[in-house]
Amino acid sequence: MNFANMTDYHHFPIYAIMVLFLGAFIIAASGGKPSKNPNNPAGFRAWIALIATAASLCFLAALIKPVMLDGEVIAYWMGSRGISGGYAIGIALEVDALSLFFALLIATAVFVSAIYSIRYMVHDDCVPQYYVLYCLLAGGVLGLVLSGDIFNMFVMVEILTFAAVALTAFRTKVYGALEAAFKYLVVGCMGSTAILTGVILLYAQYHTLNLAQLASLIPGTMNNATKLAFAFLYIGFSTKAFIVPFHPLAADAHGAAPASISVLISGVLTKSGIYGIMRLTYFLFQTMGLGRMQFMLVFIGSVSMFVCVTMALAQHDFKRLLAYHSISQIGYVLAAVGLASALGVSAGLYHAMNHTLFKGLLFLAAGAVLHETGTTDLGKLGGLSKKMPHTTVLFLIGAFSISGVPPFNGFASKWMIYQASYQKAVDTGNIGFLLVTIIALVTSTLTLASFVKVSQSVFFGQLPKEYENVKEVPFGMRLAMGILAALCVVTGLFPKSVTALLTEPAAKAAANVGNYITSMGFKTSLPAVEVSFVEAGVWEPINWLLILCIALLGVTIVAVAGKYDHVSETTSENVETKYQLFYGGEENVYSQVGGGDLFWGFKHNWRHYFDFMHKLHSGVVNDYALWAVVALALAIVYMMIAL
Amino acid sequence: MTASIFLNGLQYLGYILIFPGFLFCFLCGMLLTGIDRKLVARMQKRVGPPILQPFYDFFKLCGKETIVPAAASRTTFLMAPLVGLAALVVIQLFIPIRGFSAFSGMADIIVILYLLLIPALAAILGAAASGSPYAGVGLSREMVTIIACELPLVLVLLAIARTVGSAMGTGLCFSLSEIARYQVENGSLITKLSMIPAAVAFAMVIPGETGSHPFDTAEAETEICEGMHAEYSGAPLAVFKLSHAVKVLTMTSLFVALFFGGVGTGITAVDGVIVFALCVAATALFISFVHAVTARLKIEQVFKYYWTVVSGLALVSLVLAWYGL
Repeated sequence: MNFANMTDYHHFPIYAIMVLFLGAFIIAASGGKPSKNPNNPAGFRAWIALIATAASLCFLAALIKPVMLDGEVIAYWMGSRGISGGYAIGIALEVDALSLFFALLIATAVFVSAIYSIRYMVHDDCVPQYYVLYCLLAGGVLGLVLSGDIFNMFVMVEILTFAAVALTAFRTKVYGALEAAFKYLVVGCMGSTAILTGVILLYAQYHTLNLAQLASLIPGTMNNATKLAFAFLYIGFSTKAFIVPFHPLAADAHGAAPASISVLISGVLTKSGIYGIMRLTYFLFQTMGLGRMQFMLVFIGSVSMFVCVTMALAQHDFKRLLAYHSISQIGYVLAAVGLASALGVSAGLYHAMNHTLFKGLLFLAAGAVLHETGTTDLGKLGGLSKKMPHTTVLFLIGAFSISGVPPFNGFASKWMIYQASYQKAVDTGNIGFLLVTIIALVTSTLTLASFVKVSQSVFFGQLPKEYENVKEVPFGMRLAMGILAALCVVTGLFPKSVTALLTEPAAKAAANVGNYITSMGFKTSLPAVEVSFVEAGVWEPINWLLILCIALLGVTIVAVAGKYDHVSETTSENVETKYQLFYGGEENVYSQVGGGDLFWGFKHNWRHYFDFMHKLHSGVVNDYALWAVVALALAIVYMMIAL
Repeated sequence: MTASIFLNGLQYLGYILIFPGFLFCFLCGMLLTGIDRKLVARMQKRVGPPILQPFYDFFKLCGKETIVPAAASRTTFLMAPLVGLAALVVIQLFIPIRGFSAFSGMADIIVILYLLLIPALAAILGAAASGSPYAGVGLSREMVTIIACELPLVLVLLAIARTVGSAMGTGLCFSLSEIARYQVENGSLITKLSMIPAAVAFAMVIPGETGSHPFDTAEAETEICEGMHAEYSGAPLAVFKLSHAVKVLTMTSLFVALFFGGVGTGITAVDGVIVFALCVAATALFISFVHAVTARLKIEQVFKYYWTVVSGLALVSLVLAWYGL
């Protein structure tokens, strides 16, 4: 275990975490005095954060070959400790393909968001402190997914919750920021405490904190105390992933936090929760073979999917709407991962990756709108596409991706999820999984509806007078959005390569628990499992795109050769009142076009459901804390029966 | 070698541009709408326009001036109809005509369900880009109609996937060419008892998807001035009219391919004529007849109808297919 050479890739995981924390400390040590440059109030500190995140991403990218392609599991002991007397002593990192997969997602999102932050945060106070917290948050999440030790997972959860709460409240002048941070703090701390309780219960039983060793010891010796620990850990990680019933917190936090932080909360923090649940169910307790555990994850996933998409339809704030969609997409991931089939896990991870990309893009677009107009209220905005054409195009790419419109990446992964759940239904003969397919398909359309609403009320429609001087956002912000948009398109067009390079190795790692245990130096009787799957459906995005391009070229040539672009524009100036809009006997302002009520035809039929949901989501933190307690109680009862 | 690649390329280009691509879509789609208009007129005791009227309308519109409103986002406004039309024609290439299919193994039924969203989305974005509040109301209704139709369509397609899959031994099957092969071996899907409710449900979805009576709330000339097309004029409007015609063809030929597939004659031209005749019958029954005897529903009624009656029928089919009946 002695890697003498400093450039040995076995050191890279710890380097990736270290550079981020080091960045945080250097920025903090450099003091809080803002620089004089109006375009970058944090001065060199922003560059330190950027370099730290870039370095972290590079270290992880260098691990793709050994871990993803060659299937090596990196077990790394800090301070040359190791196993002594059969027990793991000291802190370990263990990086298998699953860890690396999540780490890559996190590092990418953090890096892109750091680029965006430089120009985005120009109007704020205390920007140097922002970067300290930013690096701490990034380091915390990365540490969580690379850790080989359950207590360190808890420590990292604490660091990231602390940083995330502070960043949620960063814009203290924004209405509701402190309230959102307080809610997050209360429920987040309940979650962290639940994780700590779970860790204590496990340590008391098995005298070890090492994940691999726990995974080798627990499955044969399940008793009520371990089941209790499982319930606590599950609820703890659920609060980090914001899945039902913790979804209202996400909406508040996203609504108040700066957009660059929303990217991290939705693209990174929720993923750490999903990662925790996967480690828990696939590795530590190896419960994914049990029908009841599959049922729970798939059930919670489907409920999250549907409830949050309907909640999103009822929103009239851009960022709150995105927040609910975020949880809806996490529902897809959880349901797919819960299927416990190779196709399902692969599809779930693929969707997790896509979610980080497109949701990051959408939050950045929302941030761009906020940066230029000062609001995210759907009722007040409109017609921005003429003022911010690049942002509009980038937003549309994100919107198409999340709504599962071919050929963007959201479709590629959702398509695998539909097949996986249907395949599971056919294989098990259980009609319940069929319901998941149907919910997933319908949710996808509702997502599309929701984003049609956003594009109609923010980017298209009529431009209000006060936004006539709005400009396109600076290049740095467009660059960050452009990177994510390009990734959305590429991962959508080459689903086979993405699966082979990233998600299949990760799915294989999730199935091969034995390998995870033996790599750390512990014994297990679990056999190695070969993972392979066939997709029932076909979808060739490249060929489709090629045909579409030829067709489009044909149509355009004919159109341009004809009189298509001979246009004359009407002016809206000096139009007499009698020519103005007269809809349903009311003036434009009172017609139902703008804002939250665009789909009243749908909402009218679901009015009882929406009324019920409206009453349920009271916005009072006491209620949400109560939900957490009830969820914990239910989880405990369920685990006692299920395991 | 180069010559064969060149010939192949030419063949595919022919597929895209002539049959079953643009020219075929243009002619057949326009004919279908012409027949539809004539039939509705006759059922309502009117003389009606000549069957070739859609062609005249199209060329006349192309000659008219195109006006872009000042409030519109020009590029999106003008590009939307073109993208929608191209996407629709590409879908038509994937739908098998009896034994013949231009591009098989590239997209299957669930993918086609989502590809069908692209033309609708193009129309919606074009309408949104026009900046007109009438278009805003129109697109809101269009989107609700899409949501309404989605659930029954999904259920129908899953039922078909199960029926064909269990017969083919793969458990489930989404591939259109496999569905066509199944029907060649076992006869049309409509002959299976469990598929009859699904076929009825799909038939009921056709007028909703194509936006004809009583589900034309999104256009509603008398109420919101053609809704999504309110600000369109000239050639872009002509392209939208053409897209509507092609969509009629796409939906009916998809219906024929899914439920009335079977042994082909081996001669593509004859097969094409047979399929087109079936499309005409489907149009007459599910679009013209329904159009002639119904009045426009309100949008919430459209939604309710699709999510209760039609989805119920499709669900019956799915459950029957699930238990192998």
